[in-house]
Amino acid sequence: MNTPLRLSPIHDLLQSLPGNWQAINGMPVLTVSPPTTSPLILTDRSCLTRFGVKGANAADWLASQGLTIPDRPNSWCPLPNPSAGIIARLGLSEFLIEDSLSSRLAPQLAMACQTPPAKVYPVLRQDLAIALSGPATHELLQQTCNLNFRALILADRPILLTSLIGVVVTLLPGEHNGHPFYRLWCDGTFGNYLWQTLVAIATEFGGTITNVEL
Amino acid sequence: MSEAGLHQPFAKSTLPQEPLTDRPSRRGDRLPPMPHEWIDRDRIIDFTFEGTHFWGYAGDTISSALWASGQRILGRSFKYHRPRGILSFANHDINALMQAGEKLNLRADTTPLEPGMTLAAVNTIEGVHNDRASLLNAFSPFLPVGFYYKAFHHKRLFPFWERLIRRISGLGQLVPTTPRIRTAKRYDFCDVLVIGAGVSGLSAALAAAAAGADVALVDENAQAGGSGSYQLGGELALAETTHQLVQQVMHHPRIRLFTQTVAAGYYTDHWVPLVDRDHLTKMRAKAVIIASGAYEQPAVFRNNDLPGVLLASAAQRLIYRYAVKPMHRAVVLVANTDGYRAAMDLLTQGISIQAVVELRSDPIANPWIAQLRSHHVPIYSGYCIYEAKTNPAKDGVCSAVICPIDARGIPQTGFSQAIACDGILMSVGWAPTANLLYQAGAKLRFEPSLQQFVPDTLPPGIFACGRVNGVYEFAEKIHDGQNVGVTAFEYLNNPLPSNSCPLSRLPSFTPPPLHPAPFIPHPKGKNFVDFDEDLQYKDFIHAAQEGFDNIELLKRYTTVGMGPSQGKHSNMNALQILAQITGKSPGEVGTTTARPFFHPVLLSHLAGRSFTPKRQTPLHSRHGALGAKFMLAGQWQRPEYYARSHSSRIDCIQREAIAVRQRVGMIDVGTLGKLEIRGPQAAEFLERVYTGRYANLKGGMSRYALMLDETGVVIDDGVIARLGLDHFYFTTTTSGAAQIHRELTRWNTIWQLDCGIVNLTGARSAINLAGPHARHVLAQLTDCDLSSAAFPYLAVREAIVAQIPVLLLRVGFVGEWGYEIHVAAESTPALWDALMVAGAAHDITPFGVEAQRLLRLEKGHLIVGQDTDGLTTPREAGLAWAVKSDKPFFIGQRSLEILAKQPIQQKLVGFRLDPAFQATPPQECHLVIEQDEIVGRVTSVAYSPTLKQFIGLAYVAPEMATPNHRFNIRLSNGEIVTAIVTSTPFYDPDNQRQKETIAHPSQVAA
Repeated sequence: MNTPLRLSPIHDLLQSLPGNWQAINGMPVLTVSPPTTSPLILTDRSCLTRFGVKGANAADWLASQGLTIPDRPNSWCPLPNPSAGIIARLGLSEFLIEDSLSSRLAPQLAMACQTPPAKVYPVLRQDLAIALSGPATHELLQQTCNLNFRALILADRPILLTSLIGVVVTLLPGEHNGHPFYRLWCDGTFGNYLWQTLVAIATEFGGTITNVEL
Repeated sequence: MSEAGLHQPFAKSTLPQEPLTDRPSRRGDRLPPMPHEWIDRDRIIDFTFEGTHFWGYAGDTISSALWASGQRILGRSFKYHRPRGILSFANHDINALMQAGEKLNLRADTTPLEPGMTLAAVNTIEGVHNDRASLLNAFSPFLPVGFYYKAFHHKRLFPFWERLIRRISGLGQLVPTTPRIRTAKRYDFCDVLVIGAGVSGLSAALAAAAAGADVALVDENAQAGGSGSYQLGGELALAETTHQLVQQVMHHPRIRLFTQTVAAGYYTDHWVPLVDRDHLTKMRAKAVIIASGAYEQPAVFRNNDLPGVLLASAAQRLIYRYAVKPMHRAVVLVANTDGYRAAMDLLTQGISIQAVVELRSDPIANPWIAQLRSHHVPIYSGYCIYEAKTNPAKDGVCSAVICPIDARGIPQTGFSQAIACDGILMSVGWAPTANLLYQAGAKLRFEPSLQQFVPDTLPPGIFACGRVNGVYEFAEKIHDGQNVGVTAFEYLNNPLPSNSCPLSRLPSFTPPPLHPAPFIPHPKGKNFVDFDEDLQYKDFIHAAQEGFDNIELLKRYTTVGMGPSQGKHSNMNALQILAQITGKSPGEVGTTTARPFFHPVLLSHLAGRSFTPKRQTPLHSRHGALGAKFMLAGQWQRPEYYARSHSSRIDCIQREAIAVRQRVGMIDVGTLGKLEIRGPQAAEFLERVYTGRYANLKGGMSRYALMLDETGVVIDDGVIARLGLDHFYFTTTTSGAAQIHRELTRWNTIWQLDCGIVNLTGARSAINLAGPHARHVLAQLTDCDLSSAAFPYLAVREAIVAQIPVLLLRVGFVGEWGYEIHVAAESTPALWDALMVAGAAHDITPFGVEAQRLLRLEKGHLIVGQDTDGLTTPREAGLAWAVKSDKPFFIGQRSLEILAKQPIQQKLVGFRLDPAFQATPPQECHLVIEQDEIVGRVTSVAYSPTLKQFIGLAYVAPEMATPNHRFNIRLSNGEIVTAIVTSTPFYDPDNQRQKETIAHPSQVAA
């Protein structure tokens, strides 16, 4: 059997794109370098490892694992160096931890939570995780979501739970090289629809939205 | 206050009396360049109109280019097919709708000219000049007001009128090959939205932005400036001031200017749809300033619809925006100072004014009167235009018949005289563009000094300035706009909770811009009030006489204001006519309701991109590669069956079902709702929400679960598996997953039990491996002991299959030995591929939803939602065995206790048709008939290749639910098919197939 044990929710949609495939965290990933002038870049980040946990004691349990957790709902903070991953507080008592390429904290937490303590409930995360970046990002979001993203104060490290083209998504707004940079997570079963729709709109902006980079 | 001498017209002999029959040359109708004109004279655009070649400049509209070329008839009226030209030139000339290829109903007055356009008017037979349908004009006496009601009231004649009206109605020719145009909808946000970029709107935007607000300014015109750039009275300095305001706005960093954009409605919380050529933008503002101005209103006199009879503002737009001469010799009908301004604008451009006809007998003095007199323009005060005369070519005006009018508004026709002209301007008043204010909840009152409805109270965050606020003069509009702009900014920092926003001060004295009764009766009629619907003055008189003397009733009976322009130049006149008839004031008559959208919006804009979320399992592409025909199950795309060449749909489905019965099949059931619950009170929670018992469920085992709502109706079912003392994993139906999770979360919030629910529907997928060879296939991929003793029916095991951690549930939904394999979504393709390889030797066959439905039907398993409906209780569905009524509590228990005391109305039974049955079989939802009464319906039916007969489930009357009872099913074509009640399961009633020694399928058929 040659099928990898991990496949991105949009794995099949990327098959026809040019680029190099390599395995990252056991998942085949198409890697290319997008043109720096691209008005919009969509990146599949599903290969990153992540872990979810919820429950009244979830915050205490994460703290007991040595993590500094965001002090208020709907916000995030970076994982301890040198990870550069993030821990997001999705509500009063629900958390998402996503590793960077270089860290493996999420699998460790999942292992530690196999027999969870009282009021701690692990959440299996099998998201489509993508990033939207480039100067046309806000135009894409204006056509797909009814939130006023320009009003966000990035210094507050907000996390947004909203609806994008009818799909429930979690959004982490940020900036990269002076342009908007949004991380987005959604239920992987909506992945093909979400990705295809976003790519179709982004293509209208004249961007080179054909490749995935990491 | 009047000016001496105004009452005496110039001597009749000084006026030219001969009718004008010469058509102006094309060159002669284009004026010298105007300051800040909208056309680009360096770019010529060629186009055709009804087969004739024309040209215009870039920036022209279709109407301005045609008018500049001497084309006066631009379309035909809707009902009588009368020739029509420019009326408002303000996006309301709906008698000048054009078709350009696939594009229907282009408004010629505002649609920009494009190279190569091939245009034709939409409402003609053989063109605007020789419209054969103009014959209807002669039949107008037979088309009285309320014609539709009177015609359709007669039952016998209804079909005749319906056919006739369907044949002659409809605008334009639909081109069926028109491609679907997908336009993006956008969301946008601002602090202050200013609607209308006229002088007051520009000033308001600048003031709000200067105070620090993020401002969006929208205007439906191609350029900002509004009336400040064309209603000049010959004073070009006003246009220059307006231009400077526009420049300031365009360069202000906090103002975004959207031109050619209509604010088409107002919705709660300051949501305003902005419609431009390509988009519908949903703008959310913190405050809205409505500076939408006013619509100029026509005067009502005979033949006021002839091409060449224009609203004064239309002529001014033609002159200053497009440098087009509206006419060569004009008669100007005035009833306010704006009319004199318009006359001066004509005069300034070298257009001869044959007469100014002043409706008022005692007009307010203004500086333009003396200027007109100095140019020897005769001014007839206390006069009206009694009639416009058509020219011999019947494409325009040749003279205006004027006469004195008495204090009661009666024309003194004995003193009439004809004044030769080729155009008539009407400047008798304005109606506020208050639609958005009404939609926002503003209260308006009628202000007699203005003869206009003005804002009385405004909702929080809504502001008004300019003409819609009753402010008409240039300098006052600037002041009004500035005042409101600052107030709106202050509101941002200190929002007021109720209707207490201050209004701008009305000017201390303004002459009424609207004449209270600018309508002149004529015995021959054709004095139009509504140009959309060809409604004449007499129609309103008759409607009132027939009892429709309420403004809302009048609207519906006459259809005034119900055409494409939605009454923008007819509602006010209708209101005034009704006020005159009933002896009420306009304020007492009131206005009709203004609803969004107040301007037509393209359906493509409303549709947008049509986002329809679809869910696909991780195996979607594999199904596609296997030839799956997909069907929608809620949001999910599922394989209905796998197509094979040279095989019908039914053959494919039966082949898949047989494979499961005889060998092994595999179906993607990743769409099932999948939830997990942990905690000391998890079992307690499940016992409350499901009808069964779960506290006594052994670890490693599963049990059927039935969920009711509080009325005792079946809403969902699934399987609950106990993974640990405080740990359960359970499934829901495919379509119910999201709402069941939401409902369970709600209950847990109420009950506050010590447990937590996690929705794993998307994160986990599932494959059902079923058939007598299923165990052999799975055994190749796992070390888990699959023997019946170690892994009995309904057991649950956590295992490793093909190196993948999975949860195995031994279930039998399709009636065979089988495993539901639940797995992390990302590993599902690997698991599927492994099973396909391992099953190859057993000819493993993927099967779709239809085969699964057939297999479960053979087994007598019902599907919630298909075999139940919104009223089905467990007793009716034969599920009473799954209800443990002796529990202390479960949702729906109390209702079931009440229902238990009552007889049931229907009962779900199995049925079969005679094995020899060969005719058209019944279908789902066909009715069960007993003595001509409906007593039930079929919920499932299929041909069983295993049982070799049609089987099904149906609701029947309880007394019919005995084995071998025969009942009738009525087919769609009325034929009756006899069915026989049969006990279920049809197949393997003793569950032999779940035992170690498996019998052949033919041996276990009931």
